Amino acid sequence: MGRPDVSLSVDHLAPAAASLPGDGAPGQALVPALERPPLAAPWPHRHLLDVDVLSWPEIELVMQTTDAMGEVLRRPIPRVPALRGRSVTILFYEASTRTRVSFEVAAKNLSADVVNIAAQSSSVSKGESLVDTIRTVEALGADMLVMRHAVSGAPHLAAEYFSGSVLNGGDGWHAHPSQALLDLYTLRQHLPGGSLRGRKIAIVGDILHSRVARSNIWTLTAAGADLWLCGPATLLRGFESWAAAWRTPAVPGAPAPRGFHVTSDISAALRDADVVMALRIQRERQAGGLLPSMREYAARFGITRERLAAASPEVLVMHPGPMNEGVEIAPDVAVGPGSLITEQVTNGVAVRMAVLYLLAGATETRRG
Amino acid sequence: MADRARSTAAAIPGGLGQLVAELEISRAWLVDPAAGREGPGEIVVRDGVLEAITWLEGDEAAGITPAGVIVAPGFIDLHAHFREPGFEDAETVATGSAAAAHGGFTTVCLMPNTSPPIDNAGTLGAVRAAAAASGSPIAILVYGTVSAGRAGEALAALGELADAGAAGFSDDGAPVRSAEVMRNALLYAGMFGLPVIDHPEDPGLTVGAEAHEGLVATILGLKGWPSAAEEAAVARDIAILADVLLSEPRARLHLTHLSVAGSIELVRRARLAGLPVTCDVTPHHMALSDEWLAGARGFAWESAAGATDPWRGGSATARAYDTSLKVNPPLRRPADAAACLAGLLDGTVDAIATDHAPHTAVGKDVEFGLAANGISGIETALGLALEAVVAGRLPLIRAIELLTTGPARVLGARLGRPVGLAEGGPADLVVFDAADRWRIDEASLRSRGKNSPLLGRDLPGRVLATIAAGRLAWADPELGAQE
Repeated sequence: MGRPDVSLSVDHLAPAAASLPGDGAPGQALVPALERPPLAAPWPHRHLLDVDVLSWPEIELVMQTTDAMGEVLRRPIPRVPALRGRSVTILFYEASTRTRVSFEVAAKNLSADVVNIAAQSSSVSKGESLVDTIRTVEALGADMLVMRHAVSGAPHLAAEYFSGSVLNGGDGWHAHPSQALLDLYTLRQHLPGGSLRGRKIAIVGDILHSRVARSNIWTLTAAGADLWLCGPATLLRGFESWAAAWRTPAVPGAPAPRGFHVTSDISAALRDADVVMALRIQRERQAGGLLPSMREYAARFGITRERLAAASPEVLVMHPGPMNEGVEIAPDVAVGPGSLITEQVTNGVAVRMAVLYLLAGATETRRG
Repeated sequence: MADRARSTAAAIPGGLGQLVAELEISRAWLVDPAAGREGPGEIVVRDGVLEAITWLEGDEAAGITPAGVIVAPGFIDLHAHFREPGFEDAETVATGSAAAAHGGFTTVCLMPNTSPPIDNAGTLGAVRAAAAASGSPIAILVYGTVSAGRAGEALAALGELADAGAAGFSDDGAPVRSAEVMRNALLYAGMFGLPVIDHPEDPGLTVGAEAHEGLVATILGLKGWPSAAEEAAVARDIAILADVLLSEPRARLHLTHLSVAGSIELVRRARLAGLPVTCDVTPHHMALSDEWLAGARGFAWESAAGATDPWRGGSATARAYDTSLKVNPPLRRPADAAACLAGLLDGTVDAIATDHAPHTAVGKDVEFGLAANGISGIETALGLALEAVVAGRLPLIRAIELLTTGPARVLGARLGRPVGLAEGGPADLVVFDAADRWRIDEASLRSRGKNSPLLGRDLPGRVLATIAAGRLAWADPELGAQE
């Protein structure tokens, strides 16, 4: 089979996780791997700005597509031609190593042409507006734009002007959808039964400034987890209003739609937790008056072996990186039993391949 | 259109800016808050003078309802930015006056946060000269700054500004940060019986703030702008006013664009205590809410009470992070909008003021956090007020009062004219059709500022004619006035 058979339509993707043809045979690595029974509808979202718009069946589809991509990654030559001829531009306005490289590897594994733009090295540093930059990127032939920006909502603006697909690689405090999807994928791999339902998950750290926390709130609560956000009160501001809204049943007397709690009591958050996710604490929070000192944070909220003793014996430990070891997480916890931290990075590539693949299908559908 | 033309006049003789030679409006709904009266009637304007008002009764009044052509006194806006001098790409006194007339306003008070700021009599004179040169009959009143250079440190030339005709003093766009400067400004301005108009905001609580602190800002990852930032400033200003009154009984405080329930309550109590404090609310803080930032487009009074969110309620129909909604103070929760409406109803709030803040695309077509604050709103104020009337939330005569006699009381003698439908004086009135919805878009807005969150929406109350001091300031093109 040659390139014309590489369908970008998700009609050929399916919830099954059967082994891919060509597994283990290097000569067959370019054989289109994603022939599956048809789905009812193509991927409906042109962009991936956040996970909030994804229905549960759509999230399941991302998970299953990630399974397929994981199989591709285990091949000797982990490459399929799904995005051959497509141009993926990676435009990062903030320093990043793992997300940027993860998207780049993912796009290259799908045979896309990848252009990397670091904002510091482009005319952005000469004062070019975001809208002008997007127009320029489009004029240079980009089909898909992976974007990171320090201002919440910046990808929403980009999506107004870009005729292809925008993938949010993290915007301000708002969203980091690919991180939430890879966290969900990693947890489903490791929690017994592959289900988060009823599992207590504690996210501990700088919640206020965290796009990882915000995107994870959508997916983890949608998966049925009992979610606890924990940190100093100064870094939780506003979240109780969110949790309260989601604990309120739409109809009086009905069960709470989502398990969602906010607390600055670390022992309450960790008690019997099945999963603990630590978030990075940045030094500028101390300078901004939100924390008395990093030392005090580590003493009161740092995830240590002693604190984890109150959690479930099989507790899983996560961190989106980069870590401040000794501040929000103790070094022995980061590499200890139950740590999924390196696996999060590995799964990141497969999840990003999956979303690039699905969005390419949506773009094709739209242009067709 | 034909029906409306019959109920007003076939054509208005004379062009814009000219004395209205003759205009008869028959079978309309007259609203005169000065007389506390509304009902069917007719008016005749001749040579710029409101020559005759006839209130119709019995058979003659049959079929005339407020859901049709309405005649009211010309509107007064206590708070607008016409951007001249310094930001003429966003608005000028001439384009702003045209927009105001299109919105039904015949008097507009301009804020002095221009470049240079209006902190001296010379700059104030230049703005008044621009108003005279515009040819618009709209009355332009100008506030001077409270502090020199709006820097918040030393008093501006308040006495010279007062002599040059300043209508009051404001550092709007920013609060008067220093309590000491506020105290001295209230004392000094009190000598001229002029109000200090404060933009109440505790800047220590709003560094980098982007949206009302609450559910929507939290979910959207926008830096919270707490209610307390406004309430703390309002409480401070009221405390200082009470103190100042002990030595200068003519001191007067006006708090502009109040947006949260707590501020309205603080003013309510201060007025019960007899303090000379007045306040206004903008149309957008009355009618919109922070849910619009998430893409919701329902009016605030349509939001169900209680802990709801636009995501779960499925009310989000537009894209999130629309920068035309970025404004200072930010759009608040629906409950705050309801408190603003309650204040407008019960008399705690004296006026609807537009805070018309035009911006260019350069200032708005950027990331939300980097976008300029402000809504171009002088042409949509009547429409939003009428939406509240249509929804049964605000009686028509009270809405008109908040746009006419209410702000007139705040301005006092500086307005220089009586307000109301009174025979024998210069005609100063607006004629609009409450039943005629018009489309808000970039072409229909006369302002240079197209930064309206209402673009694409139809609002009730097409303005058919605006007559300021006897002269034609606006005529709907279909009425056939000659430009």
